[in-house]
Parts: sequence; structure tokens; C-alpha cells
Amino acid sequence: MAILRAHGIEAPLPLGFEGRIFTRLSIGAEVPRPVAHFATFALPVEVGDFGGGAVNLMGASDIFAALFEYGPESVGRQLFARQGLPRSLAPTDFRPYVLRRGLGGQSGTQWFFTESGRPFTLYVVLGSHIQRSALVPRVNELIGNVAVSPPAQPSGLASAPLTTSTGAPWN
Amino acid sequence: MIALAIALSVVVLLLAVLVAGLLRSHADILKALHELGVGVGEPGTHNRDLAEPGGSDPADSVHVPLTMGPPLPGERNSTSAPTIAGVAPNGDAVAVNVAGGSPLTLLAFLSSGCATCAGFWSAFQQPDDLGLPAHTRLVVVTKGPEMEIPAEIAPHVRSGLSVVMSTDAWSDYEVPGSPFFVLVDGDSGRRIGEGVANHFRQVVELVRRAEADSRAFTIESKGRASSEGLDGPERELANDRELVAAGILPGDPSLYPSSLADVYGPDATGHNEETIRSASPGPRASSPQGLHSPQRVHTSPNQTGRPQPSQATVSARDIKAD
Repeated sequence: MAILRAHGIEAPLPLGFEGRIFTRLSIGAEVPRPVAHFATFALPVEVGDFGGGAVNLMGASDIFAALFEYGPESVGRQLFARQGLPRSLAPTDFRPYVLRRGLGGQSGTQWFFTESGRPFTLYVVLGSHIQRSALVPRVNELIGNVAVSPPAQPSGLASAPLTTSTGAPWN
Repeated sequence: MIALAIALSVVVLLLAVLVAGLLRSHADILKALHELGVGVGEPGTHNRDLAEPGGSDPADSVHVPLTMGPPLPGERNSTSAPTIAGVAPNGDAVAVNVAGGSPLTLLAFLSSGCATCAGFWSAFQQPDDLGLPAHTRLVVVTKGPEMEIPAEIAPHVRSGLSVVMSTDAWSDYEVPGSPFFVLVDGDSGRRIGEGVANHFRQVVELVRRAEADSRAFTIESKGRASSEGLDGPERELANDRELVAAGILPGDPSLYPSSLADVYGPDATGHNEETIRSASPGPRASSPQGLHSPQRVHTSPNQTGRPQPSQATVSARDIKAD
């Protein structure tokens, strides 16, 4: 089993998957954040953060998944309240309209969360909404083993306990 | 006459002395080996029990440990196409699934130091002008950062070119040296060509020929079961029926061709030889034991679960042609 490991993200790839963990070149004062792409088809060299240029190449039985990290300023915000990467998705989590680029027949899901003090979004596209029951287990096989290391220099927000505005702990 | 007899006697005597000397020398060697603990009977074990009181003490013999060396490597698997996992020159992680990911993947095993590789690095600066067939994916594989300096690879990397640094890939594909090229058919998940070249146009020609051979084989080997959309057990059952209807039962010699003539008849040509080489599934299939056994030879699944053509597929094609 091939293992991808870079930028504090480790992903053992199930059979039939390929992938990349990379950061883009910095433009101006922008600080590029790690992006991980996983696919059951040949990923083009140039792929948008959320699969632009790749999802249009998918077959009905293909899967594309992107793990996109946001900056530390996002930690503690309501959008990233969920703790931990979703490890097991259900076919009902996928909707044809949850797509960055709506392509006929495809289906998608997106989750925002904080893992090891780092804010992420997980975006998964299935080649066929009809085949989601068969494809989702393969997605779970992939995301079930992804590991994220804590940030090298944890910010004050990251080290602070995560609570809601009322002080209740986030679930 | 008497003189001749005397001469023969002297010769025989000399030979006898010579043989006696050889036997004595041989005995001395055996004795020395015996004292070193080498030889049949392992004097360090049961011979110790048999040692006579007045004889040499086996405890004084030098123990020479006999250890088993590492097992010999198995036969080279020239068809497997494992995933290539490594890092990009800038430290990003990359894994390329060549089996099933793309119709054709050309792996170029290059290094930063070899003079011949310089021409390929130069040619790869414009990946779109390489002249490779459509849907052919080019992936450059160098050894990992522990054996190559990423800073020397990075200047060669241009937009649109995939470069993976992976020493494991060189080992997996048993690359003898650089430059070396491997062509993988994504549909079957197998290597369909490999070798060295001095110029990239030679590689392009290799890819074109291998693609043509692979396509011709795939088209010709599609049987009725495949054309009817059958798969899995239904396809095996349909193939069994066709074989039985053609009078080919398990163990039939036609399932085990031993020469080109067995497959193509006496007019076998070099082209056919290339086709067979491309179609060889690698590990030898076991003997069929039942009606389903020939199907295992027909469509032995690879790691991706996709059926692989085999020599027996040619036999099935011939049946349909009849």
C-alpha cells in the first residue's frame, strides 16, 4: 500500500487510488496551505484545489477527494466547529447539488472540521450518484486512515480549548 | 621380449607408487577437514560420541558454523505495475497509480547525472510536443532524495511534467540503469513494454508499436461472452460452454502452447511473437482441474481485479474463428 506523507498529512492509499499532498507557490503575501488530492483516475498535472480540471475526467465509478487546509485564523470559528475528520460517510451524505462544478450524474459532499488543531475542509465527488452505495465504502477506506499532525507552531487559538460563544464545548 | 616385460613391470610399479601417493594425500586432506569439523557426519555432534579414547579429541576441532544464505530472488516479474509513490523535487508527496489510472502510462526512469538523460530532460521541457499517442501519460521517475539531490532535479521540472522521486519504484520495476523506459497498459494493469533508448523518438516508436499490438490483441481476443456484456461467473460459465462445445476439455494440450507453432501454426511470424510476449501473464498458471480452470488461465485478475489476457485467450479466439 502506497503511503503519501507530506506537510503534516499522512494518507495510506487504498488499492486503485493515487494522490498528491502539496502546497501551491505563494503569490504576493499569501501563505499557501497544504492541499491533498486523491483519485481513482489519472490526475492531471494541474488540478484546481477542489478538482477543477479533474472532475470532468471522472468515469461513473471514479472518486475524487480533496482535503484543503485553511489558515490558523480559521481555528475556533463556527464553520470549523466539528472536531475531527469524518471517518465514515454514508451514501445519504452525498447530494448531486453539493458540487463545486455541477456535472451531470455526479454527486458530492463537503465537510468543514478541525483536526489536530488545523482547520480543513473535505470535499468528495463521486462519478455517479446512482452508484454511491458502492462508491462510498471506498471513500471511507481512504479517509478512515488519513492522519493529520498538529501544526508545527501552534497558535494561541489552536491551543485554547474550543468552546461556543456560550462557553459550551463544541461537538 | 624380456626387456619389454621388465619395462612394463617398472611402469606398473611406478603407477602403483603414484596411486598410493595420491590416496595418501587424499587421506591427509580428508583427515584435516575432519579435524576442522567439515564433512559428512558432523564430527562435532555424533562423531564425538564415536571418538575412540586414544584418538584425536573432537572437542579440540574447530567448529565451522554452517549458515543458510538469503534465499535467491524469484523470477523477475516483468508484467507487474505497482503504484509509484514518492516525493516531488519540492517535497510534495506524490503517488501515481499506473494500473487503471490512465490508458497508457510511460514511465521514464532518469537521473540527474547520466549524460544520455540530458537529452530526455531537454525533450521533456515541452511535454506537449513529444509526439506521444493521445491519452498517454508521461511520468518521470528519479531515485529518491536519499540518492538524488532534489535541487538538481528541480530545474528540469516544467509545468505539465510529472516527476516522482522514488527509489522504491526503481526497485519495484527492477530498473537496471538510466535512462530506462516502461510502458504500462492501464486497462490490464500490466507492463507491455520496457527498454532503453538514446533518443525520445525511439521511445515514441516503442509506445506506438506497443499500443497497436495491445489494441489489436484486445480487439481480437474479445469473445462472445465479452461482447454480450457478461462478466464474472457468468462470463466464466459462457466461456466454459464455448470450450466444451469446441471439444476442448480441461487438460487439452491447446491450452498449454509450448511454441509459436502451437498458437499460430507453422507460419508464425515475428509480429506474432511480439504479441505473445505482450500477452504473457507473468506467473505461470496452474494446471486446470475442472471446467472452470481454463477460465482462470483466460482471465486471471490482476491486483486491480481487472482481467488479464493470457496465452490461453489466443486459444479461445481461435476457437471462435473456427
